[in-house]
Amino acid sequence: MKIERQVDQIINENVTAIAAGDESVESILARYPKIEAELRPRLEAAILLQQARYSVATRPGFIHDSRKYLETKIVSMPPRYSWQRIIMRYTPQRWVFNLIAPVIVLLMLALVVNSTLLTARLSIPGDPLFSTKLLIEDIQLAFTLNQVDKTNLQMQQTQERTLEFVELVMEGDYDYLPAAAGRMEAEIIASLHALNTVSMNSPGVELTMVAKLSDTLTNEIQMLNMLKATSPNSAHAGINLAIQVARSGVLALH
Amino acid sequence: MPGRQDKDYELIKKAQHGDHSAFGDLYENHAPSIFRYLYAHLDNQMDAEDLTGEVFLKAWQSLPKYTERGVPFLAFLFRIARNTLVDHYRQNNRQESKDPEEMDGYRAEGNPEPVDVIGSQIEHQKLLRLLQKLRPDYQTVLTLRFISELSPEETSQVMKRSVGAIRVLQHRALADLRKEMDKVS
Repeated sequence: MKIERQVDQIINENVTAIAAGDESVESILARYPKIEAELRPRLEAAILLQQARYSVATRPGFIHDSRKYLETKIVSMPPRYSWQRIIMRYTPQRWVFNLIAPVIVLLMLALVVNSTLLTARLSIPGDPLFSTKLLIEDIQLAFTLNQVDKTNLQMQQTQERTLEFVELVMEGDYDYLPAAAGRMEAEIIASLHALNTVSMNSPGVELTMVAKLSDTLTNEIQMLNMLKATSPNSAHAGINLAIQVARSGVLALH
Repeated sequence: MPGRQDKDYELIKKAQHGDHSAFGDLYENHAPSIFRYLYAHLDNQMDAEDLTGEVFLKAWQSLPKYTERGVPFLAFLFRIARNTLVDHYRQNNRQESKDPEEMDGYRAEGNPEPVDVIGSQIEHQKLLRLLQKLRPDYQTVLTLRFISELSPEETSQVMKRSVGAIRVLQHRALADLRKEMDKVS
């Protein structure tokens, strides 16, 4: 038997007798010499509580008198079922607040998410939200199942990369040019693959798309050549790389 | 205590059908335990009396909910009593006890002699001071077991712990109380 259980049992069996004077602490302890050290303090504490019980007893007549009062009072207070308690717990203002608060929170959340997405869409390489922009584009591509739509989206993303490159040159962020040219190349290759797939599945549809992408790349080459003339030498390597990538794209389209 | 539970069950059934007298019987059976539990945590007898009434009013209003839970009525009452006590502390924002001299001179009809009242109040204050030095769960287990005279099983239902855990808690609480008694003396 666990010591806690044994001590509890001894206390239960003897505390009343000790409090009444029929037994003494020492006589009980003499019966359990092995656990005396454990038992003594607890037995003494239990006796104190037993004796103190009378100091917290109700005053004479309280239960009888208060019973009458309680019975009178509950006549006008029917028991309430759970749904009644829920309704009564809330005032009309509380109900309105409970309904409006989540709506406001949702609206604010939507506003924050929307602002973040918009800021991400306008970001260029080097901005904190640029990776979010790339992630959103990947998600859009993953959820576009129609091949023609997918190709259009791919081409839009290629155009976005060319615009980003121009913006980087205009803003003087030359450090990001090689990486941006690399991303542009990857997008052009992906667009060419997509166009190839469309031409095999639905011949004729791809012609407009090819012309559009060709225009985009040609414009990019012209724009970059103009910017190169006004840019410092440190930017030339990156710009040349982008021009080369765009030219390769135009050649591939032809 | 199955006998007590069976008796309670019959009275609860009647009370749920609107029998105020049956609920009065439940009150008469359990109010002393509830009062002792509350008074062991409070420094004012009137507060304990008011809260006892409040506990039973809440119990009356929650009677339909009671059957859904399937807990012995006494455990159900003590849970209400604990919550009521917590609400009372929050409202009054104090837990410290008063000196016997500071206590109100409340004396209703049928009260014992003043000497007995003062003796009892001093004893009560001593108990209160000792208990307040213990951890809250120690206070609860000792009050339920020795002041309200609940069995380990009933205490376990009130405190939502196993019977074994209650015994261990009581074992430690008694040891701590004894240490506090030494400090006081």
